Amino acid sequence: MAFLLRRLAFYLAAFLVAATINFFLPRLMPGDPIQIMFASAGSELSLENLNALKLTFGFIDAPLHEQYFAYLQSVFTGDLGRSIKYFPLPVTELLGRALVWTVGLMGIATVIAFTLGSLLGVFAAWRRGRLIDSVISLTAIFSSSVPAVVVSLIMLFVFGYTLGWFPNGYAADPLIDPAWNWEYISSVLYHGTLPMVTLVFVLMGGFAVTMRNNMINLLGEDYIVMARAKGLSDNNVMLWYAARNALLPTVSSLAIAIGTVLGGSLVTEVVFNYPGLGNTLYQAIIARDYPVIQGQLLIMTAAMLISNFVVDLSYVLLDPRLKKA
Amino acid sequence: MKLFAQLLQNKKAMTGLVILTVIILVAIFAPLLTEYSPVKRVGRPHQAPSWDHWMGTTRLGHDVFSRLVHGARVSLAVGFGAGLLITLIGTVLGIIAGYKGGVVDEVINFFTNMVLVVPNLPLLLVLAAFIGQASPLVIAIILGLTSWAWGVRVTRSETLSIRQRDFVKSAEMLGEPGWRIMLFEIFPNLISIVGINFIGSVIFAVITEATLEFLGLGDPNTVSWGIMLYNAQNAAALAVGAWWDILAPCFALAFLGLGLALINFAIDEIANPRLRTGGMLNRWTRMVRLGEGKL
Repeated sequence: MAFLLRRLAFYLAAFLVAATINFFLPRLMPGDPIQIMFASAGSELSLENLNALKLTFGFIDAPLHEQYFAYLQSVFTGDLGRSIKYFPLPVTELLGRALVWTVGLMGIATVIAFTLGSLLGVFAAWRRGRLIDSVISLTAIFSSSVPAVVVSLIMLFVFGYTLGWFPNGYAADPLIDPAWNWEYISSVLYHGTLPMVTLVFVLMGGFAVTMRNNMINLLGEDYIVMARAKGLSDNNVMLWYAARNALLPTVSSLAIAIGTVLGGSLVTEVVFNYPGLGNTLYQAIIARDYPVIQGQLLIMTAAMLISNFVVDLSYVLLDPRLKKA
Repeated sequence: MKLFAQLLQNKKAMTGLVILTVIILVAIFAPLLTEYSPVKRVGRPHQAPSWDHWMGTTRLGHDVFSRLVHGARVSLAVGFGAGLLITLIGTVLGIIAGYKGGVVDEVINFFTNMVLVVPNLPLLLVLAAFIGQASPLVIAIILGLTSWAWGVRVTRSETLSIRQRDFVKSAEMLGEPGWRIMLFEIFPNLISIVGINFIGSVIFAVITEATLEFLGLGDPNTVSWGIMLYNAQNAAALAVGAWWDILAPCFALAFLGLGLALINFAIDEIANPRLRTGGMLNRWTRMVRLGEGKL
């Protein structure tokens, strides 16, 4: 319990750091911060609206620390300002709509990549030095070193444009109305396949390499020899003695990997024109829609902290030593 | 140097080193490899690969091959520059935290964990967006300043175990100053971790530079692989069938990434003998099986 509370306090502090970066960055840049942030808004927004927007970001006529607390107040009350490009739309709503797609795509891809990658790592370690190890290791090295943008573009070229097996963009057929029926859901699945496969490929390698190396380190331990000496079957020893213990460090690498996952999904969405956070952000970058760009840092940090917390929770479940502490 | 000699005996490392050397040579001799300027219009737009233009032309009529070989310079420079900066910060902070312990350790460790949980790419996107069109140099610097946390974590934990060893204790007894112990007693034992950190950071920097530029945060006048992707995507190269425009920088990036990753994997194998599978170990097992070795 104390462990989890300490983690929670830490995550709160980390979120504060992200918010602080957002606050100081425009003020550290050469030039007028208000000019930088709302340059493109000047002609489109009424003075009243512009002033309300400035207030959200702490641009008030007061000393810096009061500006800072004004900004923190808006952040912690869930007010991230409004998008300049789609003006009356609040940033939280704009990003919230996109977040659903990203979490769906990313969540499923991470689970598949983690399961598949870890299993491949286990097999590679168990048969280390054999052909299957070389094949898995090389594939894993390749997948973990190639940029997501490259994999996405090649996938899109081969399966989207050349073979025509999968659509080239969007989350679903725009002609079908969103509803909970098979027609719409199948369209979503069909459109999601290519970005999903891309993400799984990009993520899998890292998990496989970590798992393989953890496993190999464990295989020399006495309790593995003991399990074999008892005459347990190969599969039993591999999965329930070795893999189970090798999983622990892999889970903690999962927490760090979530940042990579977010990054990878950003680019993949842009390439596949998928309506998630990445694409929304890309549009915001092109339009220099700063409230949206800043808002995504906070939302992604929050997403990262929440997933880290979930990993912490699972760590407590997986490692009995932590329960007592 | 022992590490380097061992690298030359490792098949994966050799393949990686060959790939890397080829790319470095191409980057150095870029102007000799092509008669075309990478920034001038030298042909009609979007021409397919031919004898005149080995990899075709872009929408603006630039020669793709010329841009590719010149772009290698930027990718390598950003990769190795940022990689060096990341490794330097990570190693210095990691060794200090691990060796000094106490308050120093707690402060460094706290900031490291903090940086680790703030997602890197979104943070870089915000930074780059405020900077505007970031030149490769600026990208390398912000990458270096924001991505050192992983290095600190690994270096610190390894330092923690090394400082308990006898040779460190005896150096302390002899009254060696702290900086000397850190530099000459501890650092040489971290060389493989520093190597892995360095190569990993180079891969990360190359990938991230390309990604930031692809997303439109780079300086569009640069000749680099990321800007090539950005221009090709903006020209809807895939949709109009100009696959060479997009695939050329894609394969270049994949090739460089693969070469670096092979070296990294090999260093890991050398540093951790249990991970070694090929070469020496195979020969040894065969000897044991044949009854020549002793077990």
